[in-house]
Amino acid sequence: MIFVLLLLTPLLAAATAALVRPYRLWVGWVTTVLSFAPLGAALWLSARVLEGEVLTWGPGEFLRADALSALLALCVSFVAALAAWLGPGLAVEDGYDAAERRSYRVFSNLFAFTMLLAVTAHNVGVMWVAVEATTITSAMLVPLHVTKASVEASWKYILIGSVGIALAFVGTVLAYFDFVNLAGEQASALNWTSLLASAPSLHREVLKLAFVFILIGYGTKAGLAPMHTWLPDAHSESPSALSAMMSGVLLAVAIYAIVRWKIVVDAAVGPAFTDRLLIALSLLSLTIAAFSLLGQRNYKRMLAYSSIEHTGLTCLGLALGPLGVFAAMLHMVNHSVTKSMMFLLAGRIQQRYRSTEIVEVPGLIRTMPVTAGCFAAGMFAIAGLPPFGLFISEFALVRAGFTAGRAWLMGAVLALLVVAFIALVTHLNRMLYGTPPKSTSVGEHTPWALAPIGLCVVILVILGLALPAPVSRLLNKVVEIAAP
Amino acid sequence: MSSLFSQLAVLGSSLTLIFALMLLWHRSVDAYTTAFAWQSVVLAGIVAVVAYFERDPELYFVAAMLLLLKGWLIPRLLRRMEGPFGAEQELQPYVNTATSLLISGLLVLFAYAVCRPLVALSHLPTRAGMPLALGLIFVSLFVIASRKKALTQVIGFLMLENGIALLAVLGTYGIPLVVEIGVFLDLLLGFMVMQLFVYRIHETFESLDVEQLGRLKH
Repeated sequence: MIFVLLLLTPLLAAATAALVRPYRLWVGWVTTVLSFAPLGAALWLSARVLEGEVLTWGPGEFLRADALSALLALCVSFVAALAAWLGPGLAVEDGYDAAERRSYRVFSNLFAFTMLLAVTAHNVGVMWVAVEATTITSAMLVPLHVTKASVEASWKYILIGSVGIALAFVGTVLAYFDFVNLAGEQASALNWTSLLASAPSLHREVLKLAFVFILIGYGTKAGLAPMHTWLPDAHSESPSALSAMMSGVLLAVAIYAIVRWKIVVDAAVGPAFTDRLLIALSLLSLTIAAFSLLGQRNYKRMLAYSSIEHTGLTCLGLALGPLGVFAAMLHMVNHSVTKSMMFLLAGRIQQRYRSTEIVEVPGLIRTMPVTAGCFAAGMFAIAGLPPFGLFISEFALVRAGFTAGRAWLMGAVLALLVVAFIALVTHLNRMLYGTPPKSTSVGEHTPWALAPIGLCVVILVILGLALPAPVSRLLNKVVEIAAP
Repeated sequence: MSSLFSQLAVLGSSLTLIFALMLLWHRSVDAYTTAFAWQSVVLAGIVAVVAYFERDPELYFVAAMLLLLKGWLIPRLLRRMEGPFGAEQELQPYVNTATSLLISGLLVLFAYAVCRPLVALSHLPTRAGMPLALGLIFVSLFVIASRKKALTQVIGFLMLENGIALLAVLGTYGIPLVVEIGVFLDLLLGFMVMQLFVYRIHETFESLDVEQLGRLKH
């Protein structure tokens, strides 16, 4: 029942949007209401998981959800509901025509479905198929408005994304090769639990080689440097609601795939090998992101580079032992909420000023006071200031690093965080103050759209002040799985 | 019996690699499509050979799917795209032919080095073809990175997929069928979307040269 709600309602919503012709605004509202069903299912799933259950469904345990799956399903369905509520297709003056609205409603729901399938699939091959399908479904929406820039971004995205994901499949095949050599051909061989159970007797050299391919492959989707080049383009040229889903949870789903494989490989060769690779790539991502933020002129690209920075931080945490994994998972949740909110706000700003250049949107605080306030709060959050959740998770992460005896590494990370902080606050200043252009109207349009944004700010503050008990219990269960 | 099997596997793998190398010296999309179609036919043949020697009916199904999808349907779609873009088949790749061949040779050598633990571990008669499959994967990556036309990049990507399928069938006699079907579905849909984008690039830029895709920087 949980899996039906979680996976079939997005398909139902996509089918509704595809079949009703011509597109009507009520279709948008129907899909929006339907998007709450997966969120409810994910909450229910989390409650069951907290009681110590692991849910499975289908022949050969086709679907399987433990605490790690539940955490990701929660993030994905929350952001998908947010993007349905604030995406194109609900209001008359949102700047899209009927065909574009239908396209958005169809593919955003399919995109949500593929992400939810990726985090609940038991078979790592099916997980790969689902992650590959996320590229296809989301790439369709990047050029919703066909312009030279959006066509270019979509081409880079689908080409780099598909090639990267193909490499992850090479890694999957290599691991399967190892398993088949040990145990013979079995239908369940690619099931994650079977892989994990036989990991200690698998061949170390082959698994190491497989993990290199897998990290490069899924790392491409997660936005890890140096495979990140598609990310700023795709995030800045997409419609904002899609950027919110990509930045908020697509990156998290790719990190999820890396974590699943890291657990298997760690069981076979010990964590030192995967930790070293993750630290190297995260540090590179942090460095590139921090310095790209400094010279940034476009606020959507600024948010995209900040996503690369936070992907780097999350992957860094995964390499710092159990404390680090706890911090990384909390950071991932915080980042999902913050960054999806920020891209949706950026969409409001872009719609008003008709520009994504930082210098062309001065005086936000006068033209759109509430939007500006939320945007400023979000900027402080991604810069790592209290009282927001990201401050707590970054603090926990740095502490985990010092506990693990990596003082030099943490020194470098702190320095890079300061660089990113300075860049973000400088850009924010330029956007908030100054004189708005004469042609820009004043006041908040579609004020109902601000309610979910306000909810995000509240969640962020709650996560920053006191971590609610169920959340921290869920995170602890994830740590038990990911860093035994 | 087993030596015939292993010879057929190596022969087939070498052929697929040669079809990929043909991309390096030919200059027309038509020749690329032909090379890809024949490569897929050979791949389907290898799968059928494995199915015959291992008496595995599932693999006959996979071979038939490969033949239908990659040997017939996708080449057909590719040829249909050549019509509108026929005037711009001349390619000036970033790297000239001689250097490309040299780099590809080195990539295949590298594949042999990487594959040593795999070949040492396996006891399947097909294991000698695995380095060639990995070589095909590396050469396809090089084609994607060094070519300027969007259509050539698509064909490079399709060959990369062939390399992975070859690696899977030689190393493990095929991945579980449910995954295999998912991979076919992804491949077909992914190809359709890429095809759509190639048309879009042509419409908006009036060329298929990806060098023009340089607006988004920093």
